[in-house]
Amino acid sequence: MRAAAAGALALALGGAPLGVLLVARRMSLVGDALSHGLLPGAAIAYLVAGPDPWALTAGALVAALIVAGLSSLLARTKRLPEDGAFAVVYLGALALGVAILGPYRDPEVVETLLFGSVRGLDAPGLILAAAAATATLVSIALFVRGFVGESADPTFMRVSGLEGAHLHLLLMMLTALNLVAGFRAFGALMTVALMMVPAAAARFWVRTYLGQAAVAAAVSAVASAAGLLAAHHFGTEPGAAMALAAVALFCVSAGVGREHSLLQSVIGRAHLKSRAPS
Amino acid sequence: MTGVALDNLSLGYEGRPVLRGLSGVFPPGRLTGLAGPNGSGKSTLLKGLSGVLHPLGGRIDRGGLKARDIAYLPQDAGLDRQFPITVEELVGLGAWARQGLFGKVGTADRARRDETLETLGLTHVADRPVSELSGGQLQRALFARVLLQDARLVLLDEPFSALDERTATDLSRMVRGWADQGRTVILVLHDLDMARELCDEVLLLAGEAISWGPTSQALTTEALGRARRWAQACEDPAHHHAESRL
Repeated sequence: MRAAAAGALALALGGAPLGVLLVARRMSLVGDALSHGLLPGAAIAYLVAGPDPWALTAGALVAALIVAGLSSLLARTKRLPEDGAFAVVYLGALALGVAILGPYRDPEVVETLLFGSVRGLDAPGLILAAAAATATLVSIALFVRGFVGESADPTFMRVSGLEGAHLHLLLMMLTALNLVAGFRAFGALMTVALMMVPAAAARFWVRTYLGQAAVAAAVSAVASAAGLLAAHHFGTEPGAAMALAAVALFCVSAGVGREHSLLQSVIGRAHLKSRAPS
Repeated sequence: MTGVALDNLSLGYEGRPVLRGLSGVFPPGRLTGLAGPNGSGKSTLLKGLSGVLHPLGGRIDRGGLKARDIAYLPQDAGLDRQFPITVEELVGLGAWARQGLFGKVGTADRARRDETLETLGLTHVADRPVSELSGGQLQRALFARVLLQDARLVLLDEPFSALDERTATDLSRMVRGWADQGRTVILVLHDLDMARELCDEVLLLAGEAISWGPTSQALTTEALGRARRWAQACEDPAHHHAESRL
């Protein structure tokens, strides 16, 4: 339980600033693509090395980085929008995984890969989660202007000779790293939820990028704690409980947040009405 | 400084040229206006000069200018207005473009940024996200960014189109000043009266160079007539709109 809490906190710190960038760039689905893309790597590693945590992690990491790298390269040719490029590459990776695994299918393994298991937060899991969070926070600290600039105005970055393309690739790599760090404990898909849903919630509270990243990290941490407690008491899947808690916090944010929430627009409308000439 | 030289330059998209056979020099310290009907290649030329678009043929010699010496303000600014970036951060990118990815932005740069925001009347919106700006305010913020870039080659695509008259006058004075400081300034203008008033030189385009030289010599009745006939020859309805403006 304590290990799960520590791992979840690391993932919240690493995932939140990335989630905010991806949501703001309308690239939230890239997280899903990457989380599906890592599965064949993990599956192949399982076939080769059995349930060895290092092998599973390494397989997933290699697959995720390949999917991220190839998709970004394909998108840069400008023949396809980025999400289209991701769809092609990750569906290809997934199909490859299914084809390779076909004869050896074991439902229990598939379930563990998709939904995770808190036993996944062993020493390698915790080390990777801590490493992913550290790499992410250091990169954001170094390049925050670059990430924000590249997201807001890629043409400007290109013309000015700033390395926008490299930053973009770094963003994809960090996203892959964080998803791999989470998938063994909380499942590939639920880890994406913990990256994107708090980021979406944060938009209802503050307007600046760094502010949103901080709020998203807090939402993610609270959701993780609540989800882990619920999982402990009611025996639900921790990944799912954490994701549901994040969605609940999103609903609260969308309802009563300080920016563009439902409550704000109701107040705004009432204000207009009271000022309208009768 | 040698300016920017074009040698038999062809530019276009997907292998189809929009502009062909362009040769000439944009001299430093001069304000050159790009004029011509819609579809004549004005914006395409700016994209080529900025490096966003690679030539289909011929070459552009930027006289040793590097990417960080170029400031480019596209017409449909590539800016994602919904992204959570504040006016201050957007404008600050200009100082940063000069210094590169690892460059440190110090107190002096911040002071200059704040001064620039003040010059352009943006101090009161400095900490607002760009999504809350009006069209005119956004254009002024983008101008502030160009100002901070302190670039030797400045490329502006219809920079005054979204602005009220007073702001347009203020900003055009600023652009004039950039050229007077010795920078090479090239801007797309739809309004020929403004081009006559503001520019040292004009390059009149219609799929190729119709005329290129000192403003009064480039915008002759004969040259404008040729541009108009080119526009009439294109049957696209958008070009009929352009005719009436030429």
